[in-house]
Amino acid sequence: MPFTLDQFEILAEKTLHFLLVFEKDGRIIAYNSRCEILFPSDVSYMEGGYITDFIIDDDVPVFKKVISELSPENFLISKSFSFATENHGVLSLKFDLTFQNNLVYAAGTDTTEEYKEHRALMTISKLTKTGAWYFNPKNNEMYWSKGCYIIKGLDPDTPMTRALGASFYPKESRKRVEKYLDDLIKNKKAYEYTEKIVTEQGEEKWVKVVAHPVIHKNEVIYVNGTIADITDRHHYIEKLKYNEETKHLALKGIQSGLFDHHIAKNEVFYSSDFKKMLGLPLDQDFVPEEIFRKMIHPEDVDGAFKRHQDNLKKEGNHYHNHYRLSDKKGNYKHYEVHGFRRKNEKGETIRMIGNLIDVHQRKLNERTIIEGKNRLQAIVNNGFAYTVLLDTKGKILITDKKSLKIIKKDFKVDPTKTDCLFIDVMPANFKNSFIHTFNEALKGNTIKKEIERVMHDGNTQWLESKYTPIFDDDYKINSVLVSFHDISERKLAQQAITLAHLREQELSNLKSNILSNFSHEIRTPLNGIMTISNLILKDKYPEEQNQLLKYLEESKDRLLDTMNKLSNFSEIDAIHDTLNFEEVDINYTVESSFREYQHMADIKKLDYNLELDTESPQAKIDINLFRPALNNIIHNAIKYTEKGAVSIRINSNTSKKNIYIYIKDTGIGIDKKDFFKIFEPLMQGSTGISREYEGTGVGLSLSKRYIEILGGKIKLKSKLGKGTEFIIIIPKHV
Amino acid sequence: MNILYVEDNKINAMVMDKMLSKHDSNVVIAENGSQALKVVREKNLDLILVDINLGLNQMDGCELLQRFRKLDILKSIPVFAVTAYAMPGDRQRFMNIGFDNYFSKPVNFDELLSAISTLSVS
Repeated sequence: MPFTLDQFEILAEKTLHFLLVFEKDGRIIAYNSRCEILFPSDVSYMEGGYITDFIIDDDVPVFKKVISELSPENFLISKSFSFATENHGVLSLKFDLTFQNNLVYAAGTDTTEEYKEHRALMTISKLTKTGAWYFNPKNNEMYWSKGCYIIKGLDPDTPMTRALGASFYPKESRKRVEKYLDDLIKNKKAYEYTEKIVTEQGEEKWVKVVAHPVIHKNEVIYVNGTIADITDRHHYIEKLKYNEETKHLALKGIQSGLFDHHIAKNEVFYSSDFKKMLGLPLDQDFVPEEIFRKMIHPEDVDGAFKRHQDNLKKEGNHYHNHYRLSDKKGNYKHYEVHGFRRKNEKGETIRMIGNLIDVHQRKLNERTIIEGKNRLQAIVNNGFAYTVLLDTKGKILITDKKSLKIIKKDFKVDPTKTDCLFIDVMPANFKNSFIHTFNEALKGNTIKKEIERVMHDGNTQWLESKYTPIFDDDYKINSVLVSFHDISERKLAQQAITLAHLREQELSNLKSNILSNFSHEIRTPLNGIMTISNLILKDKYPEEQNQLLKYLEESKDRLLDTMNKLSNFSEIDAIHDTLNFEEVDINYTVESSFREYQHMADIKKLDYNLELDTESPQAKIDINLFRPALNNIIHNAIKYTEKGAVSIRINSNTSKKNIYIYIKDTGIGIDKKDFFKIFEPLMQGSTGISREYEGTGVGLSLSKRYIEILGGKIKLKSKLGKGTEFIIIIPKHV
Repeated sequence: MNILYVEDNKINAMVMDKMLSKHDSNVVIAENGSQALKVVREKNLDLILVDINLGLNQMDGCELLQRFRKLDILKSIPVFAVTAYAMPGDRQRFMNIGFDNYFSKPVNFDELLSAISTLSVS
């Protein structure tokens, strides 16, 4: 059953919808009481009025267009319109418009909140840290979105008023900001500004504010605004501005002052910039040369004037000079002068126009660079290694003094004066290795290599070369540091060790050889002895017994002789019985032994010298043991020394009991672990190069045994590769 | 049996002569390599005994063996080393060179004679 009219009326009044009926031109026929808030309070009866009177100005054309589109065919359209209300600000209503019987039936819902959001989003969608605000000029109502509170650091529950909003601006800008809003209300024009605010917490921020008026009947009834925190951007822009200003200032500085010098009149005219720069009075048109001269740094005056005169004589029109000038405070700065010379028909310069350029900062920078370079050079020079810095093409940038000396001497080039490729100043046999290694270094690898070099004195020098790539700020290689470290000492020691190992190995070979020889030499006569004794025992040839015994005797002698020859040691026990002690002058004895080997030392070009004792020390010894023992040691010293010196010294002053004989050489030396071995029988210090050092190999052990029999001692000091010192200690005879 | 003994030590050569002569052998002595090479061309031999160390600056027994081996007439004649080199490994060394047997000095005659008798049987 349909509603009765009364029922329907009640229903219309109870709904939250805004219900309106109007004609196509907007004239209102009927409305429910909900609609009353849309209309001014003093108009109690609005029927017959026009709906367009209450819609905001912007929406009126939209409304008109929508209504005109309604027809029996197109009878339902949805559209939003904003109404300017007296007490509720702008209400945004979304209407379903139905067209029937030439009337428009409108049913609207309140979408104000959505509308506000929408408008705010429209304006600020692209900004972060933003807030939206609305202001109703009629009732001074101010609304802030949460964003506004956050920007200001204020509790979002605080009730907002225009005055409170304005209070965040500092005093000096508050009036200005208030005026923007007042002007907007008056002029109905949108505005935007950027200002500083101070938040509730006292923090300074920069905000950008954009505001749009909502106009109804040509009057601002509402203000939509957004606010954005642009502190970061503002700071960035300020920084940019500052840099820009600096650049401009810098450019101005470079362009310094102009001058115009009439040489004939001896007058110099300066631009006002120039005068300011030099602290000259601005009303003075020119400066006489004498005064200008006084402004130049005393150390620079002569050079500057010489260059000035040289400039005037030069071909062409250019003029260039540089000197330090004092400013008004008396501080000197570096200036460069670039000018143009005007000549008369004789070719004489009569006038110069130019620029004085302040290059003080540049000069200071240059000095820093030079100091840096000097420092680097000092480091390079004082290092232990030979050092060369190369650019990526292999050109020498810096060398240390030692290397520089060698290059200058060997190649007659001075890399500090002329461009010079490192490869051109190295021995030919280094070049291949250098190219390879340098290229490796250019790939960013640090490389070590050992090289051998024959020096002027014919000795070999071992160098360890190290190639270090040097990177610039962009991690590109801009140079390669090549250093050479003398590792000859290490190398020699290594060689000596290898030699010692070799000797040890050969020693075992030697021992078995000696053993084999002994064996052979004993077995041969033994063969005869055994065979003959066998024959005699079996009594096979009684008639030849005597002959066989003679042969036996011969074989026995041969065996004995062999034994004597090969093993002097077996004699030693016997020596004790035949010792013949007598007083001996050690100075004299040593000197005669010394002379005996003079020839041998001369052949090897050794520095061979003898220092006799100041006393004439006497010892009671058997000269027949002492002399071979001493001779053996001297002979050895010379034998194992290829260059340098063999020095013999006698000293009996430092000890009451003993005489000391020092035999010192600069020979191959003996490894400490071999000290005890060299006194072993059949041992030769150098079995490894045994062809070089022929001998019985029993010498040193015999010397030791002999000296010990005489009541003395032999001591040994030695360093492998450096030399050896034997000390014979013999008791004095008082 | 004709035996050549190459030995520089006269006593050793003499006693070897005496020992082998007792056992029906005819011993020719050569003091060095050159003499030995001369003898092998002139005489028909059944066995050659060679000392290794034939003195300083002389061809040694090993080299002499190489020379013998180049002579066609000696191809099938046994050559024994008789030497005072008697260190471990020496036997192997000389046998490797190509000697048919090895006797160290002082020579054990029983062993030598038994080796010779084996030869004469075959």
